[in-house]
Amino acid sequence: MTTFVIRRLLWTIPVLLLVILFTFVMMRQIKGNPFRKTDRAVPAAVQANLDRKFHLDEPWYVQYADYVKGIFSLDLGPSLVLRNQSVNDIVKSHFPVSLELGAYAFLFAIVAGVPLGMLAALRPNKLTDYLAMLVANVGFAVPSFLVATLLIYYFAVKWNVGLPTSGWRSWDSKILPSIALGFFPMAYFARLVRGTMLETLQQDYVRTAKAKGLRRRRVVGLHVLRNSLIPVVTAAGPLLGAVITGSFIVETIFAIPGIGRYYVSSVSSRDYSVTMGLTILYAVIVIVGNLVVDVLYGFLDPRTREART
Amino acid sequence: MVVNPQQEELRKRVLTRSGRVDAGAPIRQTSLWRDAWYRYRANRAAVIAGGLFLLLVVYVVFGPILSPYDPYAVDFSQAYQPISWSHPLGTDQYGRDLFTRAALGGRISIGIGFAATIAIMGIGIVYGSISGFVGGRLDNGMMRFLDALYGLPYLPFAIIVTQLFQTVNFYVMVIALTIASWFTAARVVRGQIISLKENDYVRAARAVGARWYRILGRHLLPNTLGVLIVFVFLELPGVILGEAFLSFIGLGINPPKASWGSLAQDGRDVYLAHPTMILIPSVAIAWLILCAFFIADGLRDALDPRTRET
Amino acid sequence: MPLLEVRDLRTYFATRDGDVKAVDGVSFSVERGRTLGIVGESGCGKSVTALSIMGLIPKPPARIVSGSIQFDGNELTQVREAELENLRGREIAMIFQDPMTSLNPTLTIGTQITETLRRHLAMSAREADRRAVELLEEVRIPRAKERLKDYPHRYSGGMRQRVMIAIALSCNPKLLIADEPTTALDVTVQAGVLDLLEDLREEHQMAMIVITHDMGVVAEAADDVVVMYAGQIVEQASSLELFDRPEHPYTEALLDALPSLEGEGGREARLASIPGRPPDLLDPPAACRFAPRCPFAGLNDYCSVEAPELRELRPSHWVRSAHPASERAAVAV
Repeated sequence: MTTFVIRRLLWTIPVLLLVILFTFVMMRQIKGNPFRKTDRAVPAAVQANLDRKFHLDEPWYVQYADYVKGIFSLDLGPSLVLRNQSVNDIVKSHFPVSLELGAYAFLFAIVAGVPLGMLAALRPNKLTDYLAMLVANVGFAVPSFLVATLLIYYFAVKWNVGLPTSGWRSWDSKILPSIALGFFPMAYFARLVRGTMLETLQQDYVRTAKAKGLRRRRVVGLHVLRNSLIPVVTAAGPLLGAVITGSFIVETIFAIPGIGRYYVSSVSSRDYSVTMGLTILYAVIVIVGNLVVDVLYGFLDPRTREART
Repeated sequence: MVVNPQQEELRKRVLTRSGRVDAGAPIRQTSLWRDAWYRYRANRAAVIAGGLFLLLVVYVVFGPILSPYDPYAVDFSQAYQPISWSHPLGTDQYGRDLFTRAALGGRISIGIGFAATIAIMGIGIVYGSISGFVGGRLDNGMMRFLDALYGLPYLPFAIIVTQLFQTVNFYVMVIALTIASWFTAARVVRGQIISLKENDYVRAARAVGARWYRILGRHLLPNTLGVLIVFVFLELPGVILGEAFLSFIGLGINPPKASWGSLAQDGRDVYLAHPTMILIPSVAIAWLILCAFFIADGLRDALDPRTRET
Repeated sequence: MPLLEVRDLRTYFATRDGDVKAVDGVSFSVERGRTLGIVGESGCGKSVTALSIMGLIPKPPARIVSGSIQFDGNELTQVREAELENLRGREIAMIFQDPMTSLNPTLTIGTQITETLRRHLAMSAREADRRAVELLEEVRIPRAKERLKDYPHRYSGGMRQRVMIAIALSCNPKLLIADEPTTALDVTVQAGVLDLLEDLREEHQMAMIVITHDMGVVAEAADDVVVMYAGQIVEQASSLELFDRPEHPYTEALLDALPSLEGEGGREARLASIPGRPPDLLDPPAACRFAPRCPFAGLNDYCSVEAPELRELRPSHWVRSAHPASERAAVAV
């Protein structure tokens, strides 16, 4: 099992290099020099100096090598637009916020979504099923900016519950944004759990369990659930990545100082290094998320566990 | 095998309890596609969803044509009109009729959706077929490459691709969203090809000397058609949401050009006072996504009854 | 008093087009210590009958419309679900057709055996483990102690079926229902499993119901036989009687369909089959359900209009046909 984990970890390196290469190549192709964005006319000599400082005059493969070297020594380089900050600074001060937001959103999604799906699966085609799936389907189809704005509109304005709608400081300011971000994954989980449970309930071994006279609680709680959750865990990996990277909408609406907002502004201000650095950060999160899920999957399903040892 | 003519006669004559002749005979068989159509039709949700989907398409195609308003004309005196007969969805802060703009925006959004989805299918089919059909080390390599691409998060990747171009317009969005999301399609096609490759009828075709393109074109791809059709409707929502999100944060289609995302962007700063501006494109998006899902469910059931739930 | 007595059981499945009458008036009984064989082709209702006895039919589409199932004095159709849960596994046990899918792939074999023991017999974990090892040895699984911790995918098909048998017998049930126990197994393994079943049945003094479409299995394992067709019983007799003097044209056809190495043509002879298909149980004919496929049914016989009743042709030999063999022999000359 450990060899499997190590091998998977080693694989992430070439994947990461490839990702860096992609982002790098793409950013290079983007027309427009960030220095021209500033309206101040920069004299040619100063321009040349700046170019040399940021290595923009060197051939691209040298820049690439430098950059990769930087990444592995955890230096993401300076921001090209915000002169006094490096990308590392930005990450350090704002990434934890996004991470926390993502984690809470995910937690909400699991805590609300899994039971909802189970409830629907255990009483299929009855009222509970229809209601639960109504909630899930709506949550699935409605874009998160609507969920966010509706939450603010109703909870904070119309009903005046006193939940703050911006910032990320007090504990209650974290509730609405987490729900807004977690709504879609919750719907996803609810639908998924319902589907996998219904399928599992049809399996022969569930019939065997019933034929053994086991109480319903055990049949559902152990036999059915354990098998139903395996596909859910597999889905959780990419979903986690999507949650964290998609947080920029929620961060924008709730004025949360996370890296999502910085990402968006770095793109529009053509701040290459911030965009690159953050993209790579996102990629790392997604890759790590997938790895964790893969490993977890091995633990849950004894068949794959054996295949890997 | 000689069939007793008396038996034939008897079979035809046997009456059932309900008085129907020939009801004692075994069940009739139909062709695969007709069967699938019947099954689809029997699924009420799928049929309703199909109808609503078509309704939406009709709206976005004919709405702007039939509307008397210019979707770009600014007229502040008409700003924020409530819902009325002359403005079925009200107006926005610039006095533009929202009913028209929503339809126009729908053309762009749905257009991007379908164009990107078809492009995704195309790339996916090519990549997946090659990988799955050839197999071996090429397959391995291609899949590893795909794994690497999976590491690129969807939205950021799409954003970067859009930035390769001077301005972001319809085609740029299609290209960006396609490039950012073709991987799953390739995987699905490859999976199908691999599982179908092992079937006996493929072996039989090989045994009579069929060339690879015939096997692929005549046997394998048509059988993946079912899965692909379902996949189209599953992929569509993702692309449409992608466009909506990108346009909402300002990195996609920007106002005054209309797309559902850009309409939402229009409403972004004023939603507290005028929530309808975000509500309208969101409802349209949700409408489309829900329809797509029920259609996909119905198609999946229709084309492969084994996956049916209770 | 027989251990199990089924009387006029009707189990229907509700579908969009109406009720599928899967079991339509079935009656039989099983005595303690004896084996009943239920034989018939796919779709004739034999599995549904067994599932109805256990109360394992999927309740939303399926339901027991009428009839009685008396087990050891209890009327199972009137009993609450909780009571049935107590009976299952403890008094009546069942093993299923496909051993590959009948065991939970994410739980160890040991757990799947001990959970039954602990549910019904209130054993401690250690006692249950010990008993589980004994059971595995009884069903002739080598190195039972170590294999307890294995997962089902490490067992072969034949071994998994043995495990199923071990689980079924773990609480010493009075009745064992075996639904196509050997159908999914290799021929070479089949004999072993059948032998095992017979040995264990004797040892534990159980009654058994064996459901199969294979006349060979019936001949091997059953004391009494019930032949089902299209949801109804068409012939019922002791095993010896049935094979010696079959009456119903369907039974005769089934016996004829057994491939044999002797007889005219020997190995070159064509395999006999029964032409046609069983009727649609959504709307069964009012006439004899076998008539369209029956070589003896004439257009003017009453059986092409009206369904024949089940009648006792000889003591304990019941037939539902207008043309039983003994009557044909008497008429033909």
